[in-house]
Amino acid sequence: MLVARDHLHAFLRALEDTGVAISPPKKADFLMSLVASPPEHVDALYWRARVTLVATAEDFDAFDAVFDAYFRGGHIAVEEETDAPEEGGETAAPRGDDDGALDALDAREGSGLHASPLDLANVRTFAPTSPEGRDELRALAGELDRALPQIAARRSARARRGPRLDVRRVLAAANRAGGEIVRFHWLRRPPRPRRVLLLIDVSGSQRACSADLLRFAHEAVRATDRAEAFTFGTRLTRVTAELDTPDVDAALASLSACVMDADGGTRIGVALQEFLANGRYVALARGALVIVLSDGLERGDPAAMGDAARRLSRLAHRLVWWSPLACDPAYRPVTRGMRAILGELDALAGARDLPSLLEEVRRLPETSARPRRTASRAWSTT
Amino acid sequence: MIATDVDSVDELGRRFAQQRYFADEGLLTAVHLALVLGRPLVLEGEPGVGKTELAKVLAVVLGRELIRLQCYEGLDAGQALYEWDYPKQLLAVRVAEAEGREVGELYDERFLLERPLLRTVRAAEGAVLLIDEIDRSDSEFEAFLLEFLSDFQITIPEIGTLRAARPPVVVLTSNRTRELHDALKRRCLYHWIPFPDAAREREILRARAPGLDDAAAAALVEAIKRVRSERLLKRPGIAETIDWAQGAQTLAADGVPWPAALRRSLGLLLKEQEDVERVEALDLRL
Repeated sequence: MLVARDHLHAFLRALEDTGVAISPPKKADFLMSLVASPPEHVDALYWRARVTLVATAEDFDAFDAVFDAYFRGGHIAVEEETDAPEEGGETAAPRGDDDGALDALDAREGSGLHASPLDLANVRTFAPTSPEGRDELRALAGELDRALPQIAARRSARARRGPRLDVRRVLAAANRAGGEIVRFHWLRRPPRPRRVLLLIDVSGSQRACSADLLRFAHEAVRATDRAEAFTFGTRLTRVTAELDTPDVDAALASLSACVMDADGGTRIGVALQEFLANGRYVALARGALVIVLSDGLERGDPAAMGDAARRLSRLAHRLVWWSPLACDPAYRPVTRGMRAILGELDALAGARDLPSLLEEVRRLPETSARPRRTASRAWSTT
Repeated sequence: MIATDVDSVDELGRRFAQQRYFADEGLLTAVHLALVLGRPLVLEGEPGVGKTELAKVLAVVLGRELIRLQCYEGLDAGQALYEWDYPKQLLAVRVAEAEGREVGELYDERFLLERPLLRTVRAAEGAVLLIDEIDRSDSEFEAFLLEFLSDFQITIPEIGTLRAARPPVVVLTSNRTRELHDALKRRCLYHWIPFPDAAREREILRARAPGLDDAAAAALVEAIKRVRSERLLKRPGIAETIDWAQGAQTLAADGVPWPAALRRSLGLLLKEQEDVERVEALDLRL
């Protein structure tokens, strides 16, 4: 019996080592199920373990492998150590020398075919916003107010007119007036803006338009108190607090201090997965309008990008992808990365500067009204 | 532990089969453990694999009342728990007024409108509570459910706390249109219902579309398998398979030969024009 106990605990530990998160109540459930309903064969044990321990279909494969190894005499396929396993198949940034200097900083323009091996920690400064730009931003602010999706607040509030009679108050008043209804009181659930999540690609390939995208993000964060903005290139940075200052140029200046990876390489899948790995960030995406501003030119593994988009899409109210490349009428989402995610998107459209962003913001209500994940239909018929 | 007279996985399987529900060992184990451990069971799977049906059948098998809470965006606590029956209270006030006696307590159980969760708590014999399509509700509602699912009690400020006399069997279903909170999953058992294998699907067809000849059933199941392996907008579930078989059967009864009957009733299997085109391009050998 002791041997069995040790074996079970070793099994649970091995599961956790492979990344299947198991909370203590789940473990307790599993062990109790063995006591309450002892399995008669391995399959029965398998189902007891899977039903109690695994909380999502994504973990089934990992679970099966560990289970086979522990109870069916299989072997765990030990993944061969690659050069940089923690990078998820990505080229690692070179470590600096001991004194912290990067070796052989190669600053020439890339061909765009390969991710730069260098995690370019360069600081980008933005030009001041032009007067026309400021006008366009004002137009954007007005439009955002109208176009961002709303949701009925959870609690009803008293209203002058409303769809629902506040019978409780009517009754209370009637009770005071001896059972006579003197006037009606109304309730309605006031509209409340949905959360908006902006994921902005600031990598080298987006160089031409990233300033305007960030100006847009500034406007969005100012327009609603439920907007969040992140930038990504080689790494993910939360920039909501930096953007939330009244002046757009001041906001961009504080950004250039904190966004260290501007104009470096793109690892969209890795960046999005980093976002999704953080429980607090995930909560920001839940039920939100998620707008990814990126050209989708993934230098890494397109499968990672597809997985991340699938998860984001499931979390979000709508998942919208705005790519500067899609402004070109000849654009087709045919790169491996874009093909992997197209089926998960609610809209794929072009946006590279403030006028085109304004155009797309105007289309948001339409996107919110459509059934989910229909971007592929629009792009397959044209 | 939820007291039942069904004490093993095999017995559960037999009872389900009597109700013409054919579950595999994984699903039966999940239900069995939900009963034994008294935990809510989260069922996920493609639409039409029988998630909702399972709860209905389970209620019949256990001889309990089925209480269904259909989730949708904007569902609030009032619609899930209870509401006060204000018109009734108002009438009571006026009747008391007319008869010239004291109004009495307006906030007592007589004036309570039961919504699914309160009904579950008050069901004397214990109930099967089906929380259907939880992924459609807002995440705030999910957080609210957590409280209910952990101790099956409801607090009504005017009355006090009501607790279920017998814990209900809770089945939650989700189509994975959005991710559920980890906190919710942690409190529940989880099972993914896959599409049935060919043998099981034939068994289901035999029970649900009696009179379908064996060769046609085999061809149909084989065709469904091919169709499901395609990248479709909406993959057909078991419900669609049964519809298709019954539709084709109706046509066949009118004298249409089998292969043509199956082809002509394809609209019962696929609900999107793009999918129909894609499947028609396949050589299904019907």
